[in-house]
Amino acid sequence: MPKTDFRYRATSMVRFIDNFTEFIGKTISWLTLLMVVLTFIIVVMRYGFNFGSIAMQESVIYCHGLVFMLGAAYTLKANGHVRVDIFYQKFSKKNQALVNIFGGIFLLLPVCFFIFFISFGYVSTAWRILEKSPEAGGLPFVYLNKSYLLILAVTLSIQGAAEIGRHLLTLTDDDLEKEPQQNVEIK
Amino acid sequence: MEYISLLMFIAVCCVLLLGYPVALSLAGTALLFAGVGSLFDVFDLTFLGAFPSRIFGTINNQTLLAVPLFVFMGSMLERSKIAENLLNAMSLLFGRFNGGLAISVTLVGMLLAASTGIVGATVVTMGLLSLPTMLKRGYSPTFSSGLICATGTLGQIIPPSIALVLLGDVLSNAYQKAQLTLGIFNPKTVTVGDLFAGAVIPGMILVGFYLLYCIAMAVFKPQNVPRLSEEDIANISGEQSKIELMFTALFPPLLLMFIVLGSILFGFATPTEAAGVGAMGATLLAIGQKQLTLKNLTAVMQNTTKITSMVFLILIGANLFSLVFRGFGGEELIQGVFEQMPGGVIGATLVVMLVIFLLGFILDFIEITFVVVPIVAPILLAMGLDPIWLGIMIAINLQTSFLTPPFGFALFYLRGVADKAVRTTDIYRGVIPFIVMQLLLLITLAVWPELITWLPSFIYG
Repeated sequence: MPKTDFRYRATSMVRFIDNFTEFIGKTISWLTLLMVVLTFIIVVMRYGFNFGSIAMQESVIYCHGLVFMLGAAYTLKANGHVRVDIFYQKFSKKNQALVNIFGGIFLLLPVCFFIFFISFGYVSTAWRILEKSPEAGGLPFVYLNKSYLLILAVTLSIQGAAEIGRHLLTLTDDDLEKEPQQNVEIK
Repeated sequence: MEYISLLMFIAVCCVLLLGYPVALSLAGTALLFAGVGSLFDVFDLTFLGAFPSRIFGTINNQTLLAVPLFVFMGSMLERSKIAENLLNAMSLLFGRFNGGLAISVTLVGMLLAASTGIVGATVVTMGLLSLPTMLKRGYSPTFSSGLICATGTLGQIIPPSIALVLLGDVLSNAYQKAQLTLGIFNPKTVTVGDLFAGAVIPGMILVGFYLLYCIAMAVFKPQNVPRLSEEDIANISGEQSKIELMFTALFPPLLLMFIVLGSILFGFATPTEAAGVGAMGATLLAIGQKQLTLKNLTAVMQNTTKITSMVFLILIGANLFSLVFRGFGGEELIQGVFEQMPGGVIGATLVVMLVIFLLGFILDFIEITFVVVPIVAPILLAMGLDPIWLGIMIAINLQTSFLTPPFGFALFYLRGVADKAVRTTDIYRGVIPFIVMQLLLLITLAVWPELITWLPSFIYG
């Protein structure tokens, strides 16, 4: 009985993080459309009216960075980070879960902690001086731009923890089917 | 000491084979080696201090901004059925001849591959779109699956390919570095535009080879590539008249590709600007075809977000990997090996090409571009190779690797979506003629490098 109770709570925790990551991912995906529109306007203004705006160009770059730095966790959840799946796709569900649990603990989490700690000083220096763009007419938000590094580390480790939890649940699932998975997933 | 770097390379290959996401495997393994190395005093952790500013450089890289925009354009073309309509229009145009469907598949596959630039996506789309049609019309499974795999990998070199954008960025850094080591302090540059221009003639030759093969098939083995029946043609065109279909389905996407590619090649726009215009154009096309529903739009945006994150996380992981690799003295090691290579620069190039070909069995283009090329390219370029030539040779080499049984990527992807009636051996046998054509192209380009270097120097001087 306590086991099922624990499973229940763990499952809802994983689901909560999933929803959080999914929400962020879907929200920032609109930035890709914004990037397309902004780039198009920049081109039209440059070639049509001979007018260039550094601030506008930098805002496309800011969107771009935000898309993939925040999108990394969303992509992890959607299983969109490429794997070398020659053997992986033939593994049993149990072995796949083991790969993801050990990978999460020994690869993902250390990398996230490393990125966080090595970038912390770098980012806080930028905040202390409220670093501005070196270009004239550029955006004065370089300190926000640099903070992406910390955001990546935090969001990716949260989703990484959820993935470890999910696969631990799969592993301890009593009616885990031992059938090897054959289908190839791409997107 | 520097042998630890080799050990790390082997270790990372083993970790990768377990199937954990590549970006994190690269970064995590490198981190582990750095940590253990510093415990035993063979690695200086201050090497890693450069890491935040390197990621920051990646975030703000203007050239790489073209990646999400091109992905957006490709996803939009794919999602809004523009590719499907294009295939239909082409089959109407060529379908009355034996082998006509094959020619249509080659041309549409080429356009689709060029616009998405991602092997898996193109092979899967073409596999779903055209393989059932080809089989239904009585095409041989061997020939059909070979053709689809081969056209799917065309995206590596037909510009505007994402692969060339990434490679252009890496090569331009490598070229600067190579010239600095040679003591040239006013270095020449190589741009993504140069690579695009360099890829045009080899790409056309390769597509030409494919088309000739289709025609030869139609002449010598017409039973493998039968023409469409009148019924099929009526089915495809449906309500619309042929002329109408040409104008709505054929010309707009072709025009779009020409605008995008032309503006880059003639120097009107940077690849990033052209990609933005292309993505906007694809969106307008989708509106024109009444396909821009909210559902399609969100799918395109989410797909773009995922692919972009995937690419850039690998870039970040590979960055850490190469930093640690350098910290262990791996670069000096490789340089030493290259300098002792019999045959000098030719020998070194051959070895690099062979290694890249073999790595292509387990790694995708993105990983190889970010992990292997930054290590070997500066050394090769300092030995006197032309950067554009090297880039195109690497691209075609990898393309061949993706096609080679039993490990080629394209084959896995097609196997994943192909009907059970198509045997795996059919796919393997089907790609062999295409591998031969690609090897022929590689030899041709090695003998006559002008085929690559002429157009860039003609356009950009």
